[in-house]
Amino acid sequence: MEYIDPHLHMVSRTTDDYETLARMGCVAISEPAFWAGFDRGSVDSFRDYFRQLTDFEPKRAAQYGISHYTWLCINAKEAENVTLSREVIAMIPEFLDAKNVLGIGEIGLNKNTRNEATIFLEHLDLAVKYNQQILIHTPHLEDKYQGTRMILDMLMGDSRINRSRVLVDHVEEHTIEHVLENGFWAGMTLYPVSKCTPQRAADMIERYGPERLMANSAGDWGPSKPTAIPDLIMEMKKRGHSKELIRRVVYENPKTFFSQSKPFVHG
Amino acid sequence: MHERTAAQIIADEFLIARAKILELAATLDRLDRADGDIENSKQLVLLSQGMQILCDSESDKAKRVQLLMSRQYEPEWIEKMAIRRRDVEGS
Ligand SMILES: [Zn+2]
Repeated sequence: MEYIDPHLHMVSRTTDDYETLARMGCVAISEPAFWAGFDRGSVDSFRDYFRQLTDFEPKRAAQYGISHYTWLCINAKEAENVTLSREVIAMIPEFLDAKNVLGIGEIGLNKNTRNEATIFLEHLDLAVKYNQQILIHTPHLEDKYQGTRMILDMLMGDSRINRSRVLVDHVEEHTIEHVLENGFWAGMTLYPVSKCTPQRAADMIERYGPERLMANSAGDWGPSKPTAIPDLIMEMKKRGHSKELIRRVVYENPKTFFSQSKPFVHG
Repeated sequence: MHERTAAQIIADEFLIARAKILELAATLDRLDRADGDIENSKQLVLLSQGMQILCDSESDKAKRVQLLMSRQYEPEWIEKMAIRRRDVEGS
């Protein structure tokens, strides 16, 4: 089945992964800017990263017939460095006209600190000023609930934000309702260990329905599985769900969401 | 939306759930055998409270375990952190 992975960090994956993804039916990827595993030292380091995301990575994906889209920001972990964050935010507009940029992301919170919240709000200003869509990272484990509520407070406290153009990622059982009932899109992230499994994601689809709901692998340089979406497809097939429902979650929904920014073309 | 019956779910998932209970049981045995005292460990308390949620008669177990393992959300966090919000309506 054709599918889209709306959150996958291909800069940290091999070309062999692109081949596997293509064989599994992946036709498009969106890659939010994130933490490299170490804190970068300067704005130029981010400039090079954004060149990689907007120039090199789409070419690598295209060799396997996969469309590559991206989102730009300084991630929540490095947002602790407010001075560097402001330099990066000031530089981002250099790249906003690139063909594959869908918006600002993945912005959010990590440890739910004051500096992270300050930089999150400054990213919102940037997104509004340039009419960009937003992709949001919610914190993990014990920080997720508090951080997700804080993020929703900041989004809903800003009347300029169009909720149907915001995707809140890494939702789980205790945060999904808050995100969906307030009109945002929600992404469930499938991890091999410690977080949401394909089974629990299928449960959430059964419980909340497919409206504004999608799934991603958030594959990166850590333990993660870039082919997690085919696992979800398998789980849903095993449970007897229709092709239409599965396709809605893994293909139509990301397509509909992305299309608010750039017309979706693949192949 | 197609939903499996309870009978189908128990047939499909009994062995998986059984294996997960055994993993938990073996973890508790491992703790038991090990030297050292963790009676006051916050993590141990959370695990035992989590297991109580599994055994009680209420629904929404996954969500309740998640909330049990979560830091508290305070609605007044913006004021407490003294975040200066951009005056959106007024500007
Ligand atoms: Zn990510």
